[in-house]
Amino acid sequence: MERVLTDFVKTLRNANIQVSPAETLDATEVLERVGYDNRELLKNTLALTLSKTPYEKEKFDDCFDDFFNERLSEPKENKDSEEDNFISDQKVDSELAESLLQSSNADIELSISKAGEEAEIREIKYFTQRAVFSRRILDIMGVAKLEEELNLIGQNNRDGVPSDLEQKLRNELTHLREKVSNFVQQQFLLHGDVSGEQLREQVFKSMNMGQIDRSYLHEVHSLVRRMAKKLANMHSRRKKNFRRGKLDIRKTIRDNWVNQGILFNLRWSYKKVDRPKILVICDVSGSVGAYARFMLMFLFSLTEVVSKIRAFVFSSHLGEVTDEFKGGNLENSIESALSKYGGGSTDYSHALSDFVSLCIDEIDKKTTIVILGDARNNFGPEKADLLKSVYERSKQVYWLNPEGKYRWNTGDSVMNTYSAYCTKVFECGTLAQLERVISTLLKTAI
Amino acid sequence: MSKGPAKTIADITKGFAKHQYICSEQISTAIYLANELEKPILIEGPPGVGKTELANTAALYYKKALLRLQCYEGLDETKALYEWRYGKQLLYTQILKEQMQEVLEGAKGLKDSLDRLMEFEDIFFSEQFLESRPLLQSLTSTEGNVLLIDEVDKADEEFEALLLEILSEFQVSIPELGVKKAVVKPLVILTSNNSREIGDALKRRCLHLYIPFPDARLEREIIKARVPEITKKLQVQLVDFVQGLRELDLKKLPAISETIDWAKTLILLNAEELNQDLAKSTLNVLLKHQQDIDIVQKEVPRLVMASDG
Repeated sequence: MERVLTDFVKTLRNANIQVSPAETLDATEVLERVGYDNRELLKNTLALTLSKTPYEKEKFDDCFDDFFNERLSEPKENKDSEEDNFISDQKVDSELAESLLQSSNADIELSISKAGEEAEIREIKYFTQRAVFSRRILDIMGVAKLEEELNLIGQNNRDGVPSDLEQKLRNELTHLREKVSNFVQQQFLLHGDVSGEQLREQVFKSMNMGQIDRSYLHEVHSLVRRMAKKLANMHSRRKKNFRRGKLDIRKTIRDNWVNQGILFNLRWSYKKVDRPKILVICDVSGSVGAYARFMLMFLFSLTEVVSKIRAFVFSSHLGEVTDEFKGGNLENSIESALSKYGGGSTDYSHALSDFVSLCIDEIDKKTTIVILGDARNNFGPEKADLLKSVYERSKQVYWLNPEGKYRWNTGDSVMNTYSAYCTKVFECGTLAQLERVISTLLKTAI
Repeated sequence: MSKGPAKTIADITKGFAKHQYICSEQISTAIYLANELEKPILIEGPPGVGKTELANTAALYYKKALLRLQCYEGLDETKALYEWRYGKQLLYTQILKEQMQEVLEGAKGLKDSLDRLMEFEDIFFSEQFLESRPLLQSLTSTEGNVLLIDEVDKADEEFEALLLEILSEFQVSIPELGVKKAVVKPLVILTSNNSREIGDALKRRCLHLYIPFPDARLEREIIKARVPEITKKLQVQLVDFVQGLRELDLKKLPAISETIDWAKTLILLNAEELNQDLAKSTLNVLLKHQQDIDIVQKEVPRLVMASDG
């Protein structure tokens, strides 16, 4: 029975539920006590030991039902085959037809799984392959021959009413198809990348962000959130200690024991350092709007590490959108920000002067400025001196350009002019690049 | 174990019901497994669904003492695990100084004095000067107990690391004294409100129980157990009303504890059944935000109608 458990764990992992080996061992131990007899009990106990977030619990329920429905269902009664015996003395030629008419359910299932092995069902990876594998298994079992025979029988019926035998065979065939497709589905759950998630994630990460279709936004968002969480975890541990100004009696006495208990060296309590300020300026005009969306998604998923973050968006004029993002529903607020400020033609000089008048006083040596834009200014004035004043007051200025490096400074792009006043300029077209940039950002900003 | 697991679980459900705690099968299974496997339970769920109450009831059911550790930001080992009694230790050194004369009396030379000093029993770091805090108390108590670590998510991440040794091995290492193992392994219950994600290392060591808002049937049973004097009609109406509320988009959804409070309020007002005016005037028991109350005021007629069925 242990085999069943490991298969099940594999199914769970495919469904993106993290199950560690230790948890699998726990589950084995649990199963020794509760056994497989009571379905409800089994479900509850496994849910307690294997799934560890509300999200995972939901998925767990589905997986459990899918998996154990197959395993625990009673073998169906074979009575009907006896009743139908009178047909079987009629002649059928193909092997498959014979076995369909005569074998029990269990035998047919056995032959399906044999055919499955021959078709290398283990190799199934993506859900689109299900049809291919079903077809392959049916072919191996000799469906083609059976279909031919059925056609032949059909032609012999002049009056157009199918004979009992034909009817029976057709029913059995439909039934067989169903069984095979169930079998393939089950095998897919076991061996395949169930939701295609890993594949899709890889694609999303390396795809140009501007090209990701809107219909995938939701999935990309959850991917972004996970990436952000990983970064947040990594960087929250690196937070430095800082003097709090409160005496730590325990440590003081401990360390002064050597001074015969005279409190000579004082020891202080430490606390985590104040988190840094990050100001983000995003170009949301037509060409770069899509990138801004992901950038903002990413940064606002990072609130665990960066609490002080203010976001500004602009195309021709600039406005602050921080409050809207703090509200909670990220997707809605991004949409509204894009529709409110996006669309116009880009004007960096205007946007920069807006930004300076809005919050130049807030910028200090702890502030990191992040600008996302393609630096395409429609041949307008550059006003790089504004950026210079921002650069001088701040800790660092990062410029993220979603265009490939080879396109910088071509046409109306003035990347060179601005990059003089940036601490660093990054190319940032894909999520993977974005992740790397933000990781650098966190390392230096904290 | 003579009884089968299903039987024991049913017993737990019944036993808890005697203490006015109505639990779903999930919950009693969790308690059963925690006892069998000697593993801690991590309970998550929205506030007010009875996470802390479960620990209280478990303590009553097993007739064991409940030790409670409330977590908060900045909680550290001196408050959770142990602390040295510094005052006493200082006094001890004073006494020691006076005693030193006797100890060293008649010693010849530096080496001899040192040897004698070494022979002298040193109790500076010993259990006499150890002040146990809840976690250590729970391990050292000889009768066994239920240890409730409430709202772990409020504590810092470092504190989680401190818990790991206790949760998996039921022991703590005190550098000066060595490893202290549990005399009787306690039943450990951790609760979290999900204000931050609990680390995987901690989760791995625990059974994970998620208590959601109850369905109507379970909630009716809970109300019946907690507020027995309620009329059947009011009880059904009340629960349907609250269930309806949970489908609205509110800042804070009413939990079981609010439903119970509301039921008690209505009993106090001698209500036999729910009507619009009554619902409107007592909404503040159920909802804790003015915005929520404003939203619900408009919905009251519909909800009361619906609960009339």
